[in-house]
Amino acid sequence: MEILSGLFNGFSIALQPLNLLWCFAGVFLGTVVGIMPGLGPAATIAMLLPLTFGMPPTSGLIMLAGIYYGAKYGGSTTAILLNVPGESASVVTCLDGYQMARNGRAGAALGIAAISSFVAGTVGVLGLMLLAPPLAKIALSFSSPEYFALMILGLAMVVLLAGDSMIKALLAMLFGLWIASMGIDLFTDASRFTFGSAELLDGIDFVVVAIGIFALGEVFANMEMQGGASLLPVPKGMRELLPTMAELKACRFAFFNGSVVGFIIGVLPGAGSTIASFISYGLEKAVSKHPEKFGTGVPEGVAAPEGANNSETGGALVPLLTLGIPGSGTTAILLAAFVLWGLRPGPLMIQDNPELFWGLVASMYVGNVMLLILNLPLIPLFAQILKLREYILYPIIFGISIVGIYTSSSSFFDCWMLSLFGLLGYLMRRLDYPTAPLILGLVLGDSMERALRQSLMMSQGDLSILYHRPIAATLLFISLLLVCLPLFRNFNQWRIRAIEDNG
Amino acid sequence: MLEKVSLKMLDLSNSKKTGMACLFIYMLSPFSLHADFKPTKPIEFVVHTGPGGGSDLLARFIVQTVEKENLSPVRFQINNKTGGSGVTAMTYMAEKKGDTHTIAVFTGNWLITPLTRSETKVSVKDMTPIARLVLEPALIAVKSDAPYKTLKDFIEAAKKSPGMLKQSGGSSTSRDNVVRQLLMKSTGSNWTFISFPGGGERISALLGGHVNVMVIEPQEAGEHIRAGSLRVIAQVAEKRLPGFSNIPTLKEAGFNIPNVPQVRGIVMSSGIPVDVISYYENLFYRLSKTATWRKYLEDQQFEDGYQKSAELSHFIDGYTDQMREILKEAGAKVIR
Repeated sequence: MEILSGLFNGFSIALQPLNLLWCFAGVFLGTVVGIMPGLGPAATIAMLLPLTFGMPPTSGLIMLAGIYYGAKYGGSTTAILLNVPGESASVVTCLDGYQMARNGRAGAALGIAAISSFVAGTVGVLGLMLLAPPLAKIALSFSSPEYFALMILGLAMVVLLAGDSMIKALLAMLFGLWIASMGIDLFTDASRFTFGSAELLDGIDFVVVAIGIFALGEVFANMEMQGGASLLPVPKGMRELLPTMAELKACRFAFFNGSVVGFIIGVLPGAGSTIASFISYGLEKAVSKHPEKFGTGVPEGVAAPEGANNSETGGALVPLLTLGIPGSGTTAILLAAFVLWGLRPGPLMIQDNPELFWGLVASMYVGNVMLLILNLPLIPLFAQILKLREYILYPIIFGISIVGIYTSSSSFFDCWMLSLFGLLGYLMRRLDYPTAPLILGLVLGDSMERALRQSLMMSQGDLSILYHRPIAATLLFISLLLVCLPLFRNFNQWRIRAIEDNG
Repeated sequence: MLEKVSLKMLDLSNSKKTGMACLFIYMLSPFSLHADFKPTKPIEFVVHTGPGGGSDLLARFIVQTVEKENLSPVRFQINNKTGGSGVTAMTYMAEKKGDTHTIAVFTGNWLITPLTRSETKVSVKDMTPIARLVLEPALIAVKSDAPYKTLKDFIEAAKKSPGMLKQSGGSSTSRDNVVRQLLMKSTGSNWTFISFPGGGERISALLGGHVNVMVIEPQEAGEHIRAGSLRVIAQVAEKRLPGFSNIPTLKEAGFNIPNVPQVRGIVMSSGIPVDVISYYENLFYRLSKTATWRKYLEDQQFEDGYQKSAELSHFIDGYTDQMREILKEAGAKVIR
């Protein structure tokens, strides 16, 4: 009952004309920055923060949160159409989304991404509304050993992302782990693999590697083919632009999986949306009846990660609003905003400012609907970009990649790095190395190493801390099962063959 | 006017004396002789963090206050020179030699990083200090169900089981760890320091009972104290903070260790003419006296750390020497 009256109150705030306007402004801006690679929601919120000082905190929060979850919607667009992840969390969407576009299903992929984002975004808000206080407490019991086990689970996904050769996948993953270890070591303050260059002190930015390997690598590889052979088929007519019933049906489990996995990982302050999308993609593939088709453009391969990175937003707001604990760069800026508005973020905030919490929750329902309405009609428009000939399209991809990287760091060094990783991406394609494991290693490497060292410092070097805790032990056990999965499959095939031979 | 009168009143017989008198007057009323310099184009405001970082938020608040209070005839434009833990921004500033339209936010890290990092080719010594603006105090907090009522209790417990108690904090050169090193050295105790990259993870570790103590910003801790989940056992500040008047500072609690402030302020590149220095000095002095700024300090629970150029220069030398000693004792490789 309390929730109902709170929600009712929330809608009466969120549906005020001015707040509706701010909500729209937020989700619209979010979609735009999501589409543009490089410029992320964190930077946008920080730059717009001063504008909100004169606004009532609830309106300000409604707008800034709109940018945050709106960006997750927009991020899939360039990932699907151009293989350029518009936002770090949409890296996983590239894997099947871009392949769908190559198969002429660009419109369907964009539609599925939007629908999945809507479903999962709404589930995320539901979770935030119903489960926030108890979940926040559970999240606190999650510590370094559990994070380590979670990262191991993520790394175990490599067996699912590998193509034909497991060795090549493992090599790519190790390369990713190596890049992740570059820069200043937090624990000892030592510089690792900086080769005396100050630019490498912070390591290499994940976005630089992802855009280089995915977007530029793909362009280089396509350029080599010369001629129009690689021109993508452009969807014609409304039917080809929208997902079919069969495609939507295939995504049923993915909608659910993405929503739940994204939300749970979002609640944990030390994980993040890229990890959420990887894990939900892996889970989708692990339970799929046709795992071999992943990576060739299956709709559920788009729905799962896109769902996960959207419901992650609802999850990430749980520790922020109930405990005043930010779990990511973007939520840290929202926290700073609270302070500048004169609010006191912390365990008592919902109690002290119910209108803020419920206004935000209600506005997120409204905002998700706005985003769906905003994004669906844009699909035919965006899909037109595929009509461009390569000699126009490729320079455009180059341009937005380089400009995107430069706007996020204003450093030429990063642009050089981008080209370097573009070449690496090309070489990997030529030599038939899968690129996803490299990205996986890079995303997880840093957090995994940290969690391991933190755990061992907690236990004075006793390794048993990693498997004596129930959550950590369960996660490690699931990882073990995952790693054994290909063996089971091989065994199964061998058994079937054996039976057939006998018969 | 006043200066002219006082110059006449001092019976000046030689030029050396005149110089000294001028200096004397200059120090008395530092902001009346700057009339010459006026910025003619937008001022570039360099920040070493990305949008949303601590220094970036401070810079954006300054920009907004300057506009609101009409303190400058030209706009301030923020330029985020991220990368290399601040080294990129420092190098950029050092290269802007003599540029009268570029200023930067510096933090304690700008003073500490060059001490240990061979990749750094420049230091704040290659720049012109303009103004120190804020000092950020800290609190030492434990979980409210912990058995330690005072810092002494905690230290005693740490002595009984060396290395068993844990503190969550930032990097090994962060203020958190420096305070720990100083406390351990002065009391002969020992506990473990576990680094977490984000403030959120540090507090989570403390609230979840995975570590025992944390050096925390008052802003971060405030609401957890009010909700009864954290207890403050000491404060790292020169004098007690308004919101924590019943908690002793480290000195008051009987720990005679140097205060380690987190500092932020403004620097320019080297080779800046005196009139330009005093122009900016004056600008930030007026900023620090506005009501908007005072409210900001209060909201953020920062201490007003305003110092003008000469004092700041002195402060930087002292701070750098102090940090060099502390880092050496902590076993860090100090290279300069």
